[in-house]
Amino acid sequence: MSSEVLTDAINGLAAIILLTSIVLVASKRMRSLVRTFMIQSLALGMFAAVVAYYTGADHIYIVAVLTIALKVFVIPYFLEYTIDKIHVKKEIEPLVGIPMSLLICAGLAFVGYYVSEPIIASGDAITKNCFAISLAVVLIGLFLMISRRKAMTEVIAILVIENGIFLGAISITYGMPLIVEIGVFFDVLVAALIMGIFAYKINRTFETLDTTFMRRLRD
Amino acid sequence: MVHDMIISSVFAVVQALAMLALSPLMIGVIRKIKAWFQGRKGASIVQPYYDMAKLFRKETVVSDQASWVFRVTPYVAIASVMVAALLVPFFTIYSLGFVGDLIVVIYLMTMFKFFMVLAGLDTGSAFGGMGSSRELMVSSIVEPTMLLAIFTMALITGTTNLSSISETLAISGIDLVRPALFLATAAFFISLLAENARVPFDNPSTHLELTMIHEAMVLEYSGRNLALMEAASWMKLMLYSVILSNVFFPWGIATDLTVLGMIGGIAAILVKVLFVAIAIAIIESGMAKMRLFRLPNLLTLSFTLALLAVTSYYIL
Repeated sequence: MSSEVLTDAINGLAAIILLTSIVLVASKRMRSLVRTFMIQSLALGMFAAVVAYYTGADHIYIVAVLTIALKVFVIPYFLEYTIDKIHVKKEIEPLVGIPMSLLICAGLAFVGYYVSEPIIASGDAITKNCFAISLAVVLIGLFLMISRRKAMTEVIAILVIENGIFLGAISITYGMPLIVEIGVFFDVLVAALIMGIFAYKINRTFETLDTTFMRRLRD
Repeated sequence: MVHDMIISSVFAVVQALAMLALSPLMIGVIRKIKAWFQGRKGASIVQPYYDMAKLFRKETVVSDQASWVFRVTPYVAIASVMVAALLVPFFTIYSLGFVGDLIVVIYLMTMFKFFMVLAGLDTGSAFGGMGSSRELMVSSIVEPTMLLAIFTMALITGTTNLSSISETLAISGIDLVRPALFLATAAFFISLLAENARVPFDNPSTHLELTMIHEAMVLEYSGRNLALMEAASWMKLMLYSVILSNVFFPWGIATDLTVLGMIGGIAAILVKVLFVAIAIAIIESGMAKMRLFRLPNLLTLSFTLALLAVTSYYIL
């Protein structure tokens, strides 16, 4: 395959990752949040696979397979299981209204583009343009985290931030050493599991997933 | 040069008439597919033509409270969509693009909407005014989205002429495909649904007073006037589908005057419009109409997509 087709594929997948982050901000139901996160992770895994094909680096293939296995199957499955168990269907009343959040996210994407411009200009990797998108995804993830109240949404938000960091790492360095990547994956998996259990416990204690109630935990 | 202009003009007229002739068929196909989804057999796909013929034979009743705006609106509506149709490439890239570009097309549509809104207010009925105010609420976000989405394509191809956009993309093939194209397509498709009063923005087949937007504005029309308003709305859906097909995915369009190219172009556009119709029917069958106050969520989503499409053109 010519490198132009590969560049198109890489840029297209990066655009899908950005698109799904925006959709995450717009969606109100827990299940659609998890599904959108699955699509985003699938695009990320394919992104890694294309980069692996382009660079010929075998260890990125392993990373791609791990991404798809963990973030498309294991973690979403676990999250859906938790959602079922605590009967939470809706993210009600986000702190910022959805139209406003979307505009803020567009602004964050601009910030991502603007900040990364000098780095893009000096880089020479095929994926360098995706760095702007990865910054935007990280910022959107952070915004999602501070603008929502439910613990489950915040779990998704931290996973989105992780996706953004992963995209950034691949797009600038063609992937970190395998041992680091595996460490990160293990970290994410355990974090998601622990946070899922936390969400369950929060729900048991407060009868809600609203994290604003946790201020009462002061002694 | 003059020779080219004459050829383009002839093709523009033929294509505009072809679009007008096919627009009821597209509505018929959408209704048929929706009927299948609901487990019904559904009316024949040529039923809209019969409806149209019936309406033209019916008596036209105009309220004695209505002013000239109400009377003139159906003609403005059909005239503005037909003029817009002259500027849009259909099965060939030849159109009157040298007279007006995409901004003219979008604002001809807005003129149609403007008069329809006025006509809704004109008769003083409560429903008409409600429909008008809702329509303007939706269109205040849709209009910039629409413009931004098509501007993305204009940026990629370096021209605002719809025919030239199609030609450049169709000839250069896959090279010009960028992520911006997908973002802009998504934004444009959402705007298409909003502009043409389709689910989830409006339900085209209901007259329930609490939910209707488009139907509320044309509620007072009857007979020939109603037929013209309906034809204009169907034509508008057709036009947006054609713009979606030819500006965002122009591959297959006839770029020269050979017979083979023409046949290919006709086949390509019919398939593409059929795909749009199927997509609309699937969305209408699978989704519920949104509550009015949730519409801004979806509309801002499409606006954000269009904005990012323009931005990502410069970045990616």
